[in-house]
Amino acid sequence: MYDAVSVEERNIPTVSLVNTGFANDAESAARGMAMPGLRYVPAKVPCEASIMEDIEAGIDGAMDAIIVALLKPLTAEEKSPKAREPEKPARIVFKGSLEEVNRFFYQRGWTDGLPVIPPTESAVADMLTGTDLAPDHLLGKLQSRGGKATIEKIAINAVMAGCLPTYLPVLIAGTIDLLESEQGFMGYTTFGFSTGSWSPFWIINGPIRHEINVNSGSGAFSPGNIANASIGRAMGLIIKNIGGVRKGVEDMGVMGNPMKYTMVVAENEEESPWEPLHVEYGYKKEDSTITVSFPQSYFQHWPYSADADGILRAVVDNMPRGMRYTLVFTPPHAGNMFREGYDKDKIKKYIVEHKLVPAARLKAVANTGMNVRTRESLNNLPANDTEMVPLIKDYRFIRIIVGGGPGAFIAHISGGGATPGKKQTQKIELPKNWAKLVARYKSVVPTYAKY
Amino acid sequence: MPEKTGSAYEVFSPWAEADPVPWRGINPRLTDLAGKKIGLLRNSKRAAEPSLKIVADRLKKRYPTISFSWFANIKPNETVIAQGMKDEFEAWLKGVDAVIASYGD
Repeated sequence: MYDAVSVEERNIPTVSLVNTGFANDAESAARGMAMPGLRYVPAKVPCEASIMEDIEAGIDGAMDAIIVALLKPLTAEEKSPKAREPEKPARIVFKGSLEEVNRFFYQRGWTDGLPVIPPTESAVADMLTGTDLAPDHLLGKLQSRGGKATIEKIAINAVMAGCLPTYLPVLIAGTIDLLESEQGFMGYTTFGFSTGSWSPFWIINGPIRHEINVNSGSGAFSPGNIANASIGRAMGLIIKNIGGVRKGVEDMGVMGNPMKYTMVVAENEEESPWEPLHVEYGYKKEDSTITVSFPQSYFQHWPYSADADGILRAVVDNMPRGMRYTLVFTPPHAGNMFREGYDKDKIKKYIVEHKLVPAARLKAVANTGMNVRTRESLNNLPANDTEMVPLIKDYRFIRIIVGGGPGAFIAHISGGGATPGKKQTQKIELPKNWAKLVARYKSVVPTYAKY
Repeated sequence: MPEKTGSAYEVFSPWAEADPVPWRGINPRLTDLAGKKIGLLRNSKRAAEPSLKIVADRLKKRYPTISFSWFANIKPNETVIAQGMKDEFEAWLKGVDAVIASYGD
């Protein structure tokens, strides 16, 4: 729709064809570009899954509407829309019981469906002790809505998600990471909205991991740790309530993704034989950082054996087609591979060298899909269909961290993320009262009863 | 101090403010399609190009003197302008009377 706006801006009338399921998205995009009258025709077909017969039938059904959109004179509202009312949200937006607050927030589309902690003035004030920045400090305007990412709005969403004040510096860094994300296809402005249901995945490195108890050990990706649970949840609420990215309106993920509730992990730097992720990316080991990518999928598998050959052959056999990959090796596996001379780069290069598919497979993806981008990017495939070619073009598309408990499973997190060398990591800045805050909240950990 | 009073919580809004951008109108429509040149603007999604081919075919049957000109934005989720194709895009637009865009979504 954005290109259609560019056409109208150059004094040419347009009509856009969109799938009926994208009508809300089209309207939101038009309004977001300040052109609410932009004409579009919701057609029953043309979606990515359509076959030619259905496309033809759908277009036939839409032809009259297309012609009307090109010929029907403008209404007064289309020609000169009434001035938009400026948004003046009340500071106190509601008063009620816990249940009433939750129902009010849910019905406005401000939650992720789970109950929230009421963001009262005192709760938000507590949260703001996690930063030296002023509440009205503006980090930037978050897409798609261009919502103002102030420290206070981040803190409000953090309270709702159940964060402790010591998580606020992480959320501020995470928001900066989104704001400074690579522009275009490989960044947040695609992965936050796309049909691919990409989910933000946050990796935390550095001393803050221990100070705020981000789990990197047993069950690192499972529920039960407040930091892992609420930091990802808060970032989801920030994207929704500051960025204005709502499911089925701006976020057009086809399948959706449970990782959008939360997907946060720390790297187990102490038990890794390799340099940690943030050091790979140019930060000091003593820095605390957050790194974002946008995977679609998470799965695990067993190695063929515990040595490097058995681990890496299993990884290669399970490597899916994707754009970016994070592999999580347990400390024992990492140690075994390290003793056999494998560093992170050697592992990545092994995978690229051994993950081969017949050229015909990639050609089929390109030629049957009608996807011009893919078709054009695969022009250099060999003529011989049976010739084996690498599935992964660049070893830097693979990221390796150490995490999880003592055991033999390997985790794959695959999907999207930044172009190598582009922004994906943000240093976490701590407030002056950090030591005091940590002392106050560090003991907030579950203590399980023995039975 | 606005706070929990009895069983009631006074709560802040999580919804961010945004600077209002003045609405803009759209351009007057054509009076007839006969003899007009229609721009066909497609993106990289699978159904975009075949959809527009069918649109062109059907329009040609209804308006035999109509003609078409294609423009492709094949870089996903980047506008033509953001890709630095402004000059090419504007030159193309100078030669068309209206544009039908298909996003294949």
